[in-house]
Amino acid sequence: MRAVTGSNLPPSPPSAFVARLRRIALVSAGLGITALGGCAAPPPKDPEALAEYREANDPYESLNRKMYDISMTLDKYSLRPVAKAYVWAVPYRVRQSLGSMVQTMNEPVVFFNDVGAGKSRRAGDAFVRWCVNMVAGVGGLIDVAKYAGYPHHDNDAGLTLATWGVPSGPYLFLPMMGPSSFRDGAGYGIDVGLSPWNYVPSGYGLLTFNWAYNIMGMINGRADHLDALDQLQKDALDPYATIRSAYQQQRKAQAEAIDNDHRATVPDWYN
Amino acid sequence: MKTVLARRHVLGLVAGAIALPAARPARAADAAAARSFVTDFGRQLVAIVNSDRTLTDKKAAILPLLQAHVDMDAIGRYCLGRYWRVATPEQQAHYLTLFHQVLVNSITDKIGDYRGVTFTVSGTSPAGDDQAVETIINRPEQPSANTQWIVSTTSGQPKVVDVVGEGTSLRLTQRNDYASFVARHNGSIDALLHALDHQVAAHGAN
Repeated sequence: MRAVTGSNLPPSPPSAFVARLRRIALVSAGLGITALGGCAAPPPKDPEALAEYREANDPYESLNRKMYDISMTLDKYSLRPVAKAYVWAVPYRVRQSLGSMVQTMNEPVVFFNDVGAGKSRRAGDAFVRWCVNMVAGVGGLIDVAKYAGYPHHDNDAGLTLATWGVPSGPYLFLPMMGPSSFRDGAGYGIDVGLSPWNYVPSGYGLLTFNWAYNIMGMINGRADHLDALDQLQKDALDPYATIRSAYQQQRKAQAEAIDNDHRATVPDWYN
Repeated sequence: MKTVLARRHVLGLVAGAIALPAARPARAADAAAARSFVTDFGRQLVAIVNSDRTLTDKKAAILPLLQAHVDMDAIGRYCLGRYWRVATPEQQAHYLTLFHQVLVNSITDKIGDYRGVTFTVSGTSPAGDDQAVETIINRPEQPSANTQWIVSTTSGQPKVVDVVGEGTSLRLTQRNDYASFVARHNGSIDALLHALDHQVAAHGAN
């Protein structure tokens, strides 16, 4: 699940497994929306309420709220306890290393998206991160690149589409996948296609690794947001609306960060 | 008519040209002031958080610090949004009292239990009429957090009016939370006050 609060936790990198689940969910959600499309609540008449309604960009709110409730109930009895046990059993440094590995393994997806967004310097950063962390960082377990001046940056196909000027479309809450939108949902599908791990030929030991890595990545990602999500559900009067607002703001800021990165393609020392 | 308009434009341009160089040093001074304000505020906050006091004591010490450095009333009004105008003066006063407590609870929940919190101010940039001061907060065994403090001087002295983490504005998120809650309770501000009352009471019981 993505970071959904203002608690400054980085969004969990979408792993292939999660992404695959997301794709399935998206298709089912898409079908659901087509069926329930006629059920979208009519916009309010009061001008101020209408402005609020437009800002929320959530015409499928009643369906989304149902998905949210289902997801939170399932999470409460499945992923959350597992993540809590994981935090209890595994020391912080080890969890941090595994988190770095998940992030490094996702670096090719970031790279392709940076290329797609036409941001060559960012693509270079992602490429260097991948090379350095895979070798010096022992398969990504240590984020060496960060100390060498190449900190991680986010990118995914939803953001690439945003930099192309594709509007987000209505907000969606995908079951067990968390907050999204039509554009970001389609982005998940593209990211699955961009991840080299989905092209590992079957029968290899790598495939086993792929599964272990994806499941671990999912638990690790959930563990990162344990406190933030618990606190949000305790503090917010309407957690659904809070998550929606935080998600939309965060995606906007991420897309702006990519747009505003005007660094030259070559590093300063090259000139 | 045409000449009058043109003259007005010229006058405007001249006025702008005079104001522009004057505004720039003011901006730089604002940035420096905002930076030292956040540095000072952060230092005091971290000193309380890192002390050996109990959580209750910490909370008691944090409250006056927040009141001095954070424009809690302005944030409160912003968070209530369009419902502020329709609220009665009693409702407004009750709301602000509750909002202060909610804000303090939320801050102490986030940082209260930690020891060894450090922070660094990394830069300042203008954000509309306000200044955004970038900080990096390091908490033990937690990923470091890049946080922007929005400092406004409209009340005469610098005050924090918003905190932005990873592109998410705390006050905007809170406003949308309240707006959605009130809208789902048929626009009843009393329902909001009741819920906040309940939240503050529940927090005190923990």
